[in-house]
Amino acid sequence: MGNLLNNMITPEFFFSIFRISAPILYATLAAIVVEKAGFSNIGLEGLMMFSALFGSLASYYSGSWFIGFLAALVVGVAMSLLMGFFAFQLKTDIILVGIAINMMGSGGTLFLCKVITGITEGKAMASTTGLITSGLCIPNINIPIIGSIPFIGRVISGHSLLTYLAFVLCFLTSLMLYRTSLGLNIRAVGENHNAAASVGVSVLKIKYIAIGFSGLMSGFGGAFMSMSYAQGWSLDMVAGRGFIALAAQAMGGGECFGGMLSSLLFGFAQALGIKFSAVGLDSNLASPIPYAITIISLAIFGIIRKQKAKKPRTES
Amino acid sequence: MSKKRQITFSLVRGALAILIALLVAMLLIFISAGGDTFGAKLAATGEALKQLLVGPLFRVNTNGVSFEGKRLADILAAMIPTTFTGLAVCIMFSANQFNLGAEGGIMLGAFVSGIVAIYVPMPPVIHAVAAVLIGGIAVGLVMLIPALLKVKLDVSEMVCSLMLNYIIMYFIKYLMNAYYADKSKGQIQTYPFLNSSRIAPLGSSPIFNSAKLTVGFVIALIAVVVCGLFMYRSRWGYQIRMIGINQDFAKYSGMKVGFIIVISQLIGGFLSGAGGGIEMLGRYPTFSWSALPGYGWTGITIAILAGNNPLFVPLAAFFMAYLQKGCDMMATYANVPMQLIDIVQGVIFLFFAAEQFLSKYRQKLVVKTAQEEIAAKAALAQEGGNANG
Repeated sequence: MGNLLNNMITPEFFFSIFRISAPILYATLAAIVVEKAGFSNIGLEGLMMFSALFGSLASYYSGSWFIGFLAALVVGVAMSLLMGFFAFQLKTDIILVGIAINMMGSGGTLFLCKVITGITEGKAMASTTGLITSGLCIPNINIPIIGSIPFIGRVISGHSLLTYLAFVLCFLTSLMLYRTSLGLNIRAVGENHNAAASVGVSVLKIKYIAIGFSGLMSGFGGAFMSMSYAQGWSLDMVAGRGFIALAAQAMGGGECFGGMLSSLLFGFAQALGIKFSAVGLDSNLASPIPYAITIISLAIFGIIRKQKAKKPRTES
Repeated sequence: MSKKRQITFSLVRGALAILIALLVAMLLIFISAGGDTFGAKLAATGEALKQLLVGPLFRVNTNGVSFEGKRLADILAAMIPTTFTGLAVCIMFSANQFNLGAEGGIMLGAFVSGIVAIYVPMPPVIHAVAAVLIGGIAVGLVMLIPALLKVKLDVSEMVCSLMLNYIIMYFIKYLMNAYYADKSKGQIQTYPFLNSSRIAPLGSSPIFNSAKLTVGFVIALIAVVVCGLFMYRSRWGYQIRMIGINQDFAKYSGMKVGFIIVISQLIGGFLSGAGGGIEMLGRYPTFSWSALPGYGWTGITIAILAGNNPLFVPLAAFFMAYLQKGCDMMATYANVPMQLIDIVQGVIFLFFAAEQFLSKYRQKLVVKTAQEEIAAKAALAQEGGNANG
């Protein structure tokens, strides 16, 4: 146990928490905004898979990480608008649309990867990990003065551009929701879309913007996964982060700051799992820790919510 | 709309959804097809499509096409696990509970049944029955977690069941590594199942044996009938469907909504677990799965295709097994990656679930029916008038 603690109180450990949290935070922001607009997008997992694949492919074929990054965003937004078309125009249950996107995001991305690159490694596995070199990844940034502070510097400085951006966007998303007319409209549509429509808000447009925003965030998350977290895309690499984000949204009370804290909690859980396997625990026991924490924390959150709901009644 | 028109509409709509999916598939095959010229690519696409559509049942070669009994048996055998997950999803989704745990459920059921089949000796037949039942009950109990959390604490059953899938997979991998693996083998697998636990092939013909088409197929069909009766002829089944249609109404009319929601997921868990057990003991000599098998997701597609009606599940399961076989054939003979199935499945899924898909056509049919009714009434009135006058 002491060995584990020694392993934990290191700058690398805290550094890894932020790194692991970033893609979850992107997906959580996506979940928060669509929930504010009154529906849920469970297709974040699939959207991130598509963005991750096309981001890495575009980066490889263009030779520029920036173009790959843009491609990931475009693919995320385009796919999410397509989801919106099925959900809002063809009246498909949004949950079923999400399941369909996730289905395609799993095996379908592997199909596209094989078809586009012509790679057929062995029987079933193919990935773009061989194509992406560190020069094609999103660059890391060393912050000048802060980076030289002992301990803290090594925790805060040297992250990927997208890690910093995740926390900046968290702040900006909160501003967007509470300080702009767009945010007001999104929340109004989510609260009562009839009331919003009666004062002249185009409900359909707002819903499209919300789901498009979730696609954009998934694009950031996907780009981070295949071009920074790992070098290149591989099958099922998002590994449930899109689903964990749904839990993070619920635990954070549907707000950006709370969502960020929950994302960090999951980052901590996963970093802890990695440390556990580093000190010799079977990785099959360490890997499910974040998933188990999700269920446990959702249950705790549920109990708290229930008690809160009870209190005013007994007082009054 | 008259019943006949309604059926026509469903058929046209379904056919069109499948056609669109095939068009998408064709486009993707065309892109992936080998060949330098447009003509060569087109020919390769045609060849691949032939494998996809005809290949599952017929051998296609220069002499023409010949029926292959073995391939049909393969398809029927592949229907066994997906029929069970399809039924499980039908019952859970009918109550408007998006529990996606059938995927982990079938793996856990297969594992638990396998362990019982290895370590708990029993007389033949009874052993197999007991192993499958224990597998089913184990998964039913696990499904209590998302069900009770939903009912008591309003935790999303969807997120919870998804997380459970991952936990189940890693937990089984851990148990395999630590306790149950046969260390003398290179691959991670258990010791062989005892002979008394084997589920027998459907008949003595070698085709049944090589395709591993077992008695499980008959059990699956019986399960379909039982689930159909349960959903449409029993009180609990009625309550499950009512909760799915309008939960508030169900509550105010005095139904125990929470209890019924828990029951529906318990049954769903039991079905997927038992399906896993039947699959494992019928088709494998040892337990060696190291990842989720994907039957749970196929089960969701099947439930959507069947409109959550258990009686249509075998048809939908046959269709999906046929498509899967077609994609396998295409991968073998036409070099198209077999993961095409996931895209085709997704597209069919989307169009089947789209309520407004072809809504204008439905509108037309409704108008037509109404006009005919008015015309019939007018004719009747005319006749009456004539008779009076």
